[in-house]
Amino acid sequence: MKVSHGLRNLTATQIVDAIADAAARWSDADFPPRVRVARAIGERLQYTEPVVDYALDKLFGTITRESLQATIAGELGSLEALDGFVSRAGRPDVRYAGFDSVAIVSSDTTIGVAIPPLVFAACAKSRVAVKDRSDSLVAAFIATLAEERSEFGAALAAGHWGGHEDPEALAHLSNADVVVAFGGAEALPTIRARCKPDARFVPFGHRTSAGYVARETLNDERATRDCAFAAARDALLYDGEGCLSLHALFVESGGRCSVDNFRRSLIDALDAEAITFPSAFEQLPPAALALRDAANFRQSQGSGSSYAGQTSPHLLLFDPPLEELPPLTPRTLAVYGVDGPGDALAFVCRHELPLEAFGVCGAERPDVLEMTVASGAARIARLGELQAPPLTAEHGGSGRILPFVRAISRER
Amino acid sequence: MLKRTAPQAAVELDDAFLAMVAAWHRTGAPCDEAAFEAQALELFAYQFENNEPYARYAASCGFSAAKRPRTWHEIPAVPASAFRDATLATFDVARAELEFHTSGTTAGRSGRHFVQRAALYDAALAAGFDRLMLAEDAGGAKPGGRTKLRFLNFVPNPRSSKHSSLGYMVAYLSDVHGDGATAYLLDGNRIDVAGFIATCESAIVQAQPLCITGTAFALVALLDALEERKTAFTAPRGSRIMETGGFKGRTRVVARDELYRRLEAALGIPQTSIVAEYGMTELLSQYYDSVETRSSTTRVKTAPPWLRTLVVDERGAGVAPGEIGTLRHFDLANRSSVLAVQTEDRGYAVEGGIVLLGRDLDAPSRGCSLDAEELLALRDR
Repeated sequence: MKVSHGLRNLTATQIVDAIADAAARWSDADFPPRVRVARAIGERLQYTEPVVDYALDKLFGTITRESLQATIAGELGSLEALDGFVSRAGRPDVRYAGFDSVAIVSSDTTIGVAIPPLVFAACAKSRVAVKDRSDSLVAAFIATLAEERSEFGAALAAGHWGGHEDPEALAHLSNADVVVAFGGAEALPTIRARCKPDARFVPFGHRTSAGYVARETLNDERATRDCAFAAARDALLYDGEGCLSLHALFVESGGRCSVDNFRRSLIDALDAEAITFPSAFEQLPPAALALRDAANFRQSQGSGSSYAGQTSPHLLLFDPPLEELPPLTPRTLAVYGVDGPGDALAFVCRHELPLEAFGVCGAERPDVLEMTVASGAARIARLGELQAPPLTAEHGGSGRILPFVRAISRER
Repeated sequence: MLKRTAPQAAVELDDAFLAMVAAWHRTGAPCDEAAFEAQALELFAYQFENNEPYARYAASCGFSAAKRPRTWHEIPAVPASAFRDATLATFDVARAELEFHTSGTTAGRSGRHFVQRAALYDAALAAGFDRLMLAEDAGGAKPGGRTKLRFLNFVPNPRSSKHSSLGYMVAYLSDVHGDGATAYLLDGNRIDVAGFIATCESAIVQAQPLCITGTAFALVALLDALEERKTAFTAPRGSRIMETGGFKGRTRVVARDELYRRLEAALGIPQTSIVAEYGMTELLSQYYDSVETRSSTTRVKTAPPWLRTLVVDERGAGVAPGEIGTLRHFDLANRSSVLAVQTEDRGYAVEGGIVLLGRDLDAPSRGCSLDAEELLALRDR
């Protein structure tokens, strides 16, 4: 018998309403808790103010009543299935019960990744414990939720656990029915090993993203320019350090605007976007400098070229060797001229790139779409929107609320 | 006057270099700035003339037959990765006496360093090891008259990895300084712990000093295995460890002072006899921890006089001593390839050498993006 707590006394609609209202308050850049937290995030991660604001705008701006309802209804059939049995055509009735206890280990290197799973676990009426970070973003948001409805205060908690051997961390991990963890290839197995054997483990590991510009886009001057700006934004946001950051861009030949012209547009676009989203770096990190030097050497031998940013430290590599990994270094984007989607897919397969997303200009073309599907990416997006994943879409190939619920069917 | 042919020039350069090495090996007397500069500029001119890819690169940096560097600092340095992108040699590589390959793990392909005359590498190796690794104050004897060491090598066996510069280096040193019972205890990523224990025990019975060589990563694996077996030794007096290669490409990194403390505890070799060698496939000379700083938390790396290093900023300009930058090496032993090599390694210059730092020491850990090492580790699973 599970212990009852406040959220179980609310309807899913009441929970969704409260969450949406709290998120709306956090969408206001002048909301005092957000101002405090934004400053703390900037201190923790050294991202510049516009970047932190962009992250918080995108994070809370997507948590709306409509998006929560649509996501839950999409995954569970209806919001009411969280409150009681609902009938289904041709199948037994169903009710979705949230797991009693959820633990979320947020990453120390990102902004607010724990918030969406927290929100959906709350919608499932689970008790949630979150490993918060020094900026206390999660704790501050839970406080706002508790202001909306006191039941949240009793069900949700955020704390600053230590490493995986910390008794508090061990207690949370070993007791939780569901553990959501963000981290690298070393951290995730360590966390998994501390969960109870039958716990549902939802890992989000490190990944990268790629982009594709179809030749049709390059038939139009305005579209070409927009596409270059879109790619620049995806490459520069978060200094190119996110799993949704663009590091490899494939540009198809055969459009009216040549690949070379697109490259020139891209150079301008990166210099311009770097002003909108300033870099936290004063100079390129050593690994990127080494890529620049390597490109300069190759250029002297007549192969490829590079461009180092004028307005900020960023680096564009044009046609680096295909046998080399794409540049997985901050603020670095490699541009590969290709004859078609097959070339892009061959590159992704050759390097076994674990792709989070594929950003595309021209995804309506079936062969381009098929390539993105075959690439293994969990998400296909328009270039320029890689860094703004919709809440209504799955995350990393998993449902949003599905991990937190179990289905109970009733036959009549 | 007739112009020298390339082979003549090579012989003259090699003779001058070998004389410099021999003099230092014999006396330890430093080579003055003017002598280094003269030899470096002459070597640049030779490489500009006889190494086409390098000449193209130097031209892209603004140099020509008429406009040459005025000081050794100005000599254009190729990035280490250039050894992947071009054949950087001043001779027909079909006649190379040695051919070394870089690991090629992150790049997906190896760089190749062709060496026309092994004698240059051998001379540089022997002198550097004698003067810097086995320096008297660290417990060794005078060059030429010292006790033979039993080499226990946790590096690739040159018989199976014939293009490993590290394997060649250790094999050469084992031949010159070894007692004839050299053991190779690394097979791929697997270390031969039982073999190590048996060899160690027999050396202790014979009071035969050891020289254990290995990458930091291999040494950590050895320590873990010994601790698992609850085994520890007191190696014979005069034993030493040469740590080489660091943790490049590895996801598990242990702080160096912790590693040395554990090595001392497990093997009974004092930390002052544990020496980190710093070298790379693209260079034929090496740095070693200086004797004076082996008991200090900050170890200074010191090099033979024919290897010099500039610490440069992101634009390639030299920075002041004590200021952090990337390391650009000038190695006169690289006669048959390129003498100036730009690395990704970070450090700063101090009196008597350089202090080597990690590659991304000042970069905060951020984001959820994959990096190259993590991707390679994932692919290996």
